[in-house]
This record gives sequence, C-alpha cells and structure tokens, in this order.
Amino acid sequence: MTHRQAEHIISLDHFSIGHHKENALLSKLKLTVNRGEMVALIGRNGAGKSTLLKSMIGLLAPLDGVCLLEGLPFADYTLPQRARKVSFVSSQITQLPALSVGELVGLGRMPYTGWMGRKSPEDRASISQALDEVQMTSFSERKLDCLSDGERQRAMIARAFAQDTPLMVLDEPTAFLDIPNTYELIRLLSRFRDGGRSIVYSTHDLETAMQCADKMWVIHEGKILEGAPEDLGMSGLFNELFFTSGISFDEQAGRFLFSGKERGRVSLEGEEEKSLRWTSNTLKRLGFRLDKGAGKRIRIEYSNNEYSWILQRNGGSLRFESLYTLARFLIQE
Amino acid sequence: MKIQSRSIFLIYALGLLLIVLFLLDIRLGSISITFAEMLAHISGKASLSDQQVLILTKFRLPRIATALMAGAALPVCGLQMQTLFRNPLAGPYVLGISSGASFGAAIVVLGAGATGIVATWSLAIAAWIGAGTVMLLLLFVSYRIKDVMTILILGIMFSSGLAAIISIMQYFSQASALKSFVIWSMGSLGNVTGAQLSIMAWAILPLLVLTLAYSKVLNGLMLGEEYALSMGVRIQRTRLVIFATTSILAGTITAFCGPIGFIGIAVPHMARFLLNRSDHRVLMPVSMLTGMVVLVFSDIVSRLPGTDQILPINAVTSLIGIPVVIWLVVMNRKAQSL
Repeated sequence: MTHRQAEHIISLDHFSIGHHKENALLSKLKLTVNRGEMVALIGRNGAGKSTLLKSMIGLLAPLDGVCLLEGLPFADYTLPQRARKVSFVSSQITQLPALSVGELVGLGRMPYTGWMGRKSPEDRASISQALDEVQMTSFSERKLDCLSDGERQRAMIARAFAQDTPLMVLDEPTAFLDIPNTYELIRLLSRFRDGGRSIVYSTHDLETAMQCADKMWVIHEGKILEGAPEDLGMSGLFNELFFTSGISFDEQAGRFLFSGKERGRVSLEGEEEKSLRWTSNTLKRLGFRLDKGAGKRIRIEYSNNEYSWILQRNGGSLRFESLYTLARFLIQE
Repeated sequence: MKIQSRSIFLIYALGLLLIVLFLLDIRLGSISITFAEMLAHISGKASLSDQQVLILTKFRLPRIATALMAGAALPVCGLQMQTLFRNPLAGPYVLGISSGASFGAAIVVLGAGATGIVATWSLAIAAWIGAGTVMLLLLFVSYRIKDVMTILILGIMFSSGLAAIISIMQYFSQASALKSFVIWSMGSLGNVTGAQLSIMAWAILPLLVLTLAYSKVLNGLMLGEEYALSMGVRIQRTRLVIFATTSILAGTITAFCGPIGFIGIAVPHMARFLLNRSDHRVLMPVSMLTGMVVLVFSDIVSRLPGTDQILPINAVTSLIGIPVVIWLVVMNRKAQSL
C-alpha cells in the first residue's frame, strides 16, 4: 500500500449510499479507481449499482463518507470543474430529443464553451474525434430517433467521450444491446481505457466483464468485494453470488452455467478436441456430470468430415448424427 | 453547413413575412393608412390627418407592438416548459400558469370590482401574483416529485381547480363585473396603451434577452436533469430562472391581454418543424419570430378584414393552434421527441 493518494482518480472511504439515512443501501465502502483502469460493477437488480455510481460522481448525495477525486474532496470542485473530470452515461433511455448525432456529441463540449455555446476549432476537433472513435462520422447528420439501440448507445458514449474527462462512468451501458453490440461496446470502452482514461461501468453481464475489466466491484450481501476478476473467481465468490438463482459458475471454464436438473454421470471419449469441448458443453448444459467411470458412455467418432456420437449403456448402443438429436434422446430417456 | 444556411434562410424568410404582415395589419381597419402615406408623413413630404395619426399611435401601433411582444414571449414560455419537463404538450396554459393569472385577475375584477385606471395596475399585479403562486407550487412539487408526468397532471389539476373557483366567483358576481371578466378572458391585444405598454415592454424585453442567453443551458437539459448536472449545469439555479422567467412572461401577457391560448404550445413545434433541429440557440429566436408572425396573422384574422366585427383573439389563436397540436399528436410520430 505505497500508492500515493493522487494516483487514484477516485477513492471512496467510509462511503455510504442510499435514499434514507436510516436505511443505507450500502455502507462504509472503501473502494478505489486507478488511472487508466476499467472497473466493472456487478450486482443484482436493486442492489444499488446506479445509486453507487451516481453518488460517487455527485449526481446523488451520499449519506456519509468521503469521495476523493484526484486526491481532493469531491465537494471542493465546482460543477463546471467536475464536468471536466467526470462524464456520465445513464442507463435510462427516456425521451430522445430530436437532435442529430453530431449535435448530441456537441453537447459533450458544454463544459468548455462560453455562455453562448460557440464551439472553438478545438471543440470541433474533439467532436469529430469522438464520432470517429465510435465509427459514426457518417451518422453525424442522422437524427437520434432513426438509430438502432446499438448506434444510439454508441452516440451517447461519443457524447461522453467528447466531454474529454479522465473518468467516464456508465450505468449499464449494455442493458439494451444484443451480444455483438455488447462486445462492440465493451471493446470501445477498452480502447478508451488503453488511451489512458478510467472507466467505471455497471453491468449484469459477468461473462463479458470477466474478460475485459481490470477490476471488479461485486455487490454481495450488502458489501462490495473488490479485486481482479480472477481474484474473485478464485475466491469462489461467484458460485456463492448466484447460488440461489439456479446458475452455477464453472470455475474451470470461467463461465456460468444454468444449473437445471441433475441428470447423473456420463463419460465422454473422443480424439478430436473441438468436438470434445462442444459435447461437454452440451452435457453440462443438460445437467450431466462428466465422470470417466460412469456406466453411461458417449464416444465421438470423426471420419470423412462427419461427426457421430455413439451412446453406450446397459450393453446397447445408439448412434446420433448431431448433438441436438443426442440431447433430445438424453432428455427423453 | 447546410443546416446553418437553412436556419439563416428561415430567419430571413420569417422576418420578411413579419414585415409584410405588420404593414398589412397597420393598413387594416375602417380608416385606411397605407405604408406610403406613413413614409411620407415621417419624411415630412405629406402629412397624415390628425385622425389618422391618432388611430396609428393610440390604437394600431400599440396593438401590433402588444402582438409582437406576446407573440415572442408565449412561445418562449412553452419552449422552456417543454424542454424542462421534456414533454411536448407542456406549455404555460397546460401547467396552469395562465389559470393562476386568470385567478388573480378574477379576484381584482370580480372580487374587488375594480375598474378604470386602478384596475390596470392592480390587474397586472394580481395576475403576476397568481401566475407566480402557481409556478412556485409547481416548483415545490417538482422538487419532491421527480416524475414529469405527475407534475404535468398536477399542473392540469391546479388549472382545473382554479377554473372551478373562478366559476364560483363568476356565479356570485354582478352582471357588469361578470361582463368585464368574460371579455378579459376572451383576450384582446387592443387594450394595452401608453403606460401599460411600457410596463409590458420593461417586463418582457429584458427577459427575452435573458432566455436567449439561457439557450445553451436549455440544450443541456434536453437529455434530462441528470445529464445536465453531469455536464456542469447548475440545476437548481436553472430551474429557478426558467420558472421565474416563464411566470413573469406568461403572467404579464395574461394580465394585460387576457389568456391567449395555444401560441405557447404550438409555436415551438412549428419552429422545430421548420428548422428540423432542436438546438435552442436557433430554436429560441425562430420560435420568437414564428410566434410574432402567428400572432400578428391572428390579429389580422380577428379583425375580419372587410367587416366591422372583431373576433376575440383567444378564439382565433386557439383555432390556429389546435390543428397544429392535433397534427402533432395524431399524425407526427416525432411528437414523442422534442
């Protein structure tokens, strides 16, 4: 613990958040965000993710405690000064103004322009860089209500980028996005991080967060656990976290499984690596446990570019041409 | 660049239209005064008759000046409310500020039975107080309740509640007072002259300049107060400024002209439609210009050219504004966005 205080862009101590003094959502938090670091905040619905993010950057009043922004108490900054340090992307898509993408991104320059909002060449450069970063330069004249969810979210992020702040805070930026858009967005945030910005974002998507975050804050039983994704994985926290919700964490694969019915044991044999991996995924999904000594045996055969699965049990054997037919049979059995 | 040239073209076009309507409005009436005659009078080549000068300076010019000020101010109120509440149907009338002003006016006219010179001043002050009270109530409520729809519903309820009280007052008032109040509530641009006109100008013109200066902040509010705060907008102060300017502008106009419906709601939408953008730095001046054009046009219509009859201005603006609002709600999908 030899870090100087100012290396943290955000440092929370004794920080309590919530809507009522008597009933804090989370209390006595001690958390830090370093420069050039991406932090993923994980927690269930209603655990206080939004409240924490907003309280941390002054959009809500914290109940208690200190928040240092670049080593100075948050309250010491004026609003315009804060706006040059922290930008925010909300989870809510309420009503969209009839703005073009370019105008929206231009709003990000508000903290830098004069009272009439006239944009300097520097502001314009910032706006076009932001549009370029999210690959929406050609969308600049397009109205917000003519965008897809993914495009709109990228435009909102470009606005925050144009605000040119060392810290960007995003509340569930991937909530309305499909998987390709989610990855696209996270890759974008990672690029910002690599460019030296600090990113804090909340999400339900543990799997993506595990792959890209430098640090995770996991809300669990009224506390926040802080650490590298792998630290938290090794601690067995994730299994505990999702214990009641019918999801288990496959510690070997580092991914989550829906734990449905338990269907007993099965052994799996085969030469080719890819088919073994996918078959084991199928079996795990169905609720089988892999065990070399099990009576039920599945052997994968691979010849002439064709796979087949041989199921052997009680002396009899059956051949399947796809994982789907195998799975159907195993379920119905 | 294309967008900017469109805005500039629009401002020139509206300006030109306004000048044409202005000249037309001056000319209209039982005694014709052409622009050429006016120019000749000003340059001293030929003079207008005393009667013509009297009509011009005591009636027509003050009436048009009133129309210009009300036409600029009411859309500003509507636009500010629409942006702050992020609701396309918000406006001073919907939120009950005009009803507050009417209530103030009703107390003076119906309750105190004031007439003449006393009425002018006390009417204005009472209408201001009425509008301000409703605004403060809304302000208080909006601090407690975050949901804009709730605030809007409360505004409509204030409005209906005050209307109910006013109708009770009407029921128990004397015939002459009742008649003055009913005529007041039909709206008129023609009753503001002399000292009243200068009070109105003093109250309105500085605030119009102030609202232009607040355009950047209004842009920040388009994404909601949370975003505005994160971009350095001082929310509390901004709310106060917006509520205060709206209540003074709407209150003053309602005090002197009576309620003038739908200009506040419909004109900002016309301006958005014409501009095809929401940047308040152009939307605000274009709304003012459009409002002036619409109100001067309404004034011409209300004088029913070719007849001696005059329609109440409130009815005319409503008949022009209502189709716009209907079109907005029914036909135009973009009504959902501001």
